[in-house]
Amino acid sequence: MTQPLLQVQDLHTVFSTKEGQVKAVDGVSFELNVGETLGIVGESGCGKSVTALSIMRLQRPGRIVGGKVMFKGQDLTRISEYEMREIRGREIAMIFQDPMTSLNPVYRVGWQVGEPTRVHNGWDAKKAFSSAVSMLGRVGIPSAASRAKDYPHQFSGGMRQRAMIAMGLTTTPHVLIADEPTTALDVTIQAQILDLLRDVNREFGTATILITHNLGVVAGMCQRLIVMYAGKIVEAGPTADVFAHPKHPYTWSLLRSIPRLDAETHEPLKPIEGLPPNLVDLPGGCAFHPRCAFRVEKCSRDVPSLLRVGDTQQAACWVTQSGTELKGG
Amino acid sequence: MIGPSRVAELEMPAAGIETAGSRPAQSYWNESWERLRANRIGMAAGTLILVMAVIAVMAPVFSLVLTHYQPQTINLLETFAKPGAGHLLGSDELGRDTLTRLIWGARVSLGVAFLTVAMSLTLGTTLGMVAGYYGGWIDDVLMRLVDTVLAIPAIFLFILMSILFRPNAFTLAAIIASVGWGTVARLVRGEVLSVKQRDFIVATRSIGARDSRLMVRHLLPNVLPVLIVAASLGVGQIILVEAALDFLGLGIQPPTPSWGNMLTNAQSYFFRSGWLVALPGITIFITVLASNLFGNAIRDAFDPRLKS
Amino acid sequence: MLAKYVARRILASIVVVLGVTLITLILMDRTRGAYVPGIDFNPSLRPEDVARLRADLGLDRPFYVWYLSWIWGVLHGDFGHSMIDGSTVTSHILDRLPNTLELTVTAILIGMVFAIPVGVIGALRRGSKTDHSLTVVSVAGFAVPQFWMGLMLILIFSVTLEQHGLPWLPSSGAFSPFNGGDILDRLQHLILPATVLSFFYVSTWSRFIRSSMLEVLSQDYIRTARAKGMSERRVVYLHGLRNALIPLITLVGLELPGLVSGGLVVEVVFGWPGIGKLAFERAIQYDYSTVMGVTFFAALLVIAGNLIADVLYGVLDPRIRFG
Repeated sequence: MTQPLLQVQDLHTVFSTKEGQVKAVDGVSFELNVGETLGIVGESGCGKSVTALSIMRLQRPGRIVGGKVMFKGQDLTRISEYEMREIRGREIAMIFQDPMTSLNPVYRVGWQVGEPTRVHNGWDAKKAFSSAVSMLGRVGIPSAASRAKDYPHQFSGGMRQRAMIAMGLTTTPHVLIADEPTTALDVTIQAQILDLLRDVNREFGTATILITHNLGVVAGMCQRLIVMYAGKIVEAGPTADVFAHPKHPYTWSLLRSIPRLDAETHEPLKPIEGLPPNLVDLPGGCAFHPRCAFRVEKCSRDVPSLLRVGDTQQAACWVTQSGTELKGG
Repeated sequence: MIGPSRVAELEMPAAGIETAGSRPAQSYWNESWERLRANRIGMAAGTLILVMAVIAVMAPVFSLVLTHYQPQTINLLETFAKPGAGHLLGSDELGRDTLTRLIWGARVSLGVAFLTVAMSLTLGTTLGMVAGYYGGWIDDVLMRLVDTVLAIPAIFLFILMSILFRPNAFTLAAIIASVGWGTVARLVRGEVLSVKQRDFIVATRSIGARDSRLMVRHLLPNVLPVLIVAASLGVGQIILVEAALDFLGLGIQPPTPSWGNMLTNAQSYFFRSGWLVALPGITIFITVLASNLFGNAIRDAFDPRLKS
Repeated sequence: MLAKYVARRILASIVVVLGVTLITLILMDRTRGAYVPGIDFNPSLRPEDVARLRADLGLDRPFYVWYLSWIWGVLHGDFGHSMIDGSTVTSHILDRLPNTLELTVTAILIGMVFAIPVGVIGALRRGSKTDHSLTVVSVAGFAVPQFWMGLMLILIFSVTLEQHGLPWLPSSGAFSPFNGGDILDRLQHLILPATVLSFFYVSTWSRFIRSSMLEVLSQDYIRTARAKGMSERRVVYLHGLRNALIPLITLVGLELPGLVSGGLVVEVVFGWPGIGKLAFERAIQYDYSTVMGVTFFAALLVIAGNLIADVLYGVLDPRIRFG
């Protein structure tokens, strides 16, 4: 068994706010293997972005207060800022949701795409620029040589996101973290970007963590997926298995709330009851229990841990851990 | 029947951090007042200004009761006195009591400032509203007019006008306001343009309200916050400009004391009394500082654009 | 496109210029019948000469004729003649303009040199004691009357130092009339007035830079730069400051128009032989035409300055250049 590339072990990140302390990441553990595509799914505020930022140590003003992030034998939460900077952008790259605001408006795109290689690899400006141009070409930007001299505002949304991806790949990192890469884009462009990410994963062998709230995105892209809720992982497993037989009521409800082509017509959609949790004032026991159709008494008292349920999946649910199947009308 | 529609994405209202307990909604004015009151520095500054205004108004009383001098009483035996028993803050080259003159000078500075603000706000708001509301060529003409007035450097215009018109408190205020109204007009016009689009204006129009009614009763209250902020931030500048004009001898003329004209001959005081040079300036500084701080506090409390 | 943008600005400027001429001359009109020192009641002039001189100064012609001939004159660089000694306003302007520019440009440079670091430090050390003290100084600087500050600096650095036998700074003029005129001498004369003038800039600009930096540093592209593993120095200065300074250019640009007039009070206090002092000297002698000519000239510069600032901004912001 090869070592996993990235291991997040019991990570805890908190934010101090006026209303109290928010445990944005509350004991999250997962692994990423070489060349793998992992999806992290959840609604806004569940902690998926903060998890990614914590891996990159960009979680400020939050604080990492516990756990480890093992990467190539080092614990990223403990190394110095200087060492972390060597890793950021070079070994682990991250791209963000809104390409419009994520690119610096006053520098040419080619210059920005070439910056990681100038700083990390020590390449001179010319070499970095031409490498940037070729990378821009590979991510599908036409006339890359001349477009590289343009400024971000001259690019369309989709092209900007491609440029961001190019920027992340110039140093051929081991891991690419994509935080909601398609959310800010038109639906048709979304598909193109996802295709690009898939190609990149295949061609460069870059392990990818794809963060999204869109189950549809995950379905086509990721081999494995993690579902987060209120700062914790509630389910994990191979994508196909999770979709076929979800082992956590939250995942189960999510999948049922999506309109399906093969559903009976006139069947009402089933939204999840209740409101998202208040992270300062979480319910006792399992955070999802107030909205859960399967809850039992134990759920309001004890917090379930993420345990093996079935052959390939894990779920943090008393009900499924005790063998009950999730079915319902 | 299709039930409540659900989109494929989990686009639920952001879990975010909800406030533990929600406070009852308050009116804009109440909320703003509360914010103002909470700002201690601002309130202190505002109180200081208020105190000064009271002193200014009651100057004759102070003369009688506190200092026992009139501002123009000359006493050639006590020139350039150091601050002390006879003259609390010293005396000037003609033996006039400095403290008394400073108190009377407050009347000038604060009075002219007040007049100026009143005039610029009135003219600026009226023209700004008309320009913003009617748009079209009226707007173009008025805005070109503003551009033109603002193109002439203020200080030159002031100098020119003060030699063309005899400066007393009113004309001085009018002179300074003749430039000030422009900025106010632009500001008001901007606000009107954005408020004009809002539904309630269209609704009011549709029930047949007259233009003037619309402008006064509906647009004006919405424009007011920005005006308040602009006015309170501008007062300090006005006081400085007025003092500078007095200093140059182009504003309030001696023997009427004003903080500015008390410094007109300062260069000749250097060897006789440093106090005479320092005191009026310090007074101006404190007043303007207080006014700026209060203005900032008002802006922090009332500016609708800063509301999250 | 840049060209269209520039063309539009120029057109707007011309309109404003015309407006200014109108205002100027309407004001001037008030003085046309007025007493003219140097001419009326001058015992050495015969009545015919008085009438002729008055006619020369155009005081008795109908308004529109006067207006047009004035415009004509301006287009040829003739800004009028003094009512006192008949000297041309243009010659005075040419004489004094370099001095004023020397003073105001220096003040702006000093302003930038001090405001940028102060603002950046305030932003980087936000909330600290350093930040608070700097803010206090800035706020205070905004409230100090320029003329008074000038007087106090003269009192301290000229008079008091001299009284105590210490080397002191000169308090008036741009250079010493006797053995002065060299760089060092000019610099000595320049320090005090330039400092007074720059004080306002440092106060306002530093606060502005501070808030601009804070805003820029919270932008997404800063997060991207950090995610790319850039050093904090690089992130703050190369990525951050470069963006934060753009609005400062606008602010500095806003001062360009005031380059000629802004120093008036300082010039008077320090006896600096510039345009402002010229206007003042002539004003107290009721030399209306000179004051008018100078005012108009200053207004022209304001309009030109605004135009240049707009164009500069267009050049610097790639969004306008290639938009």
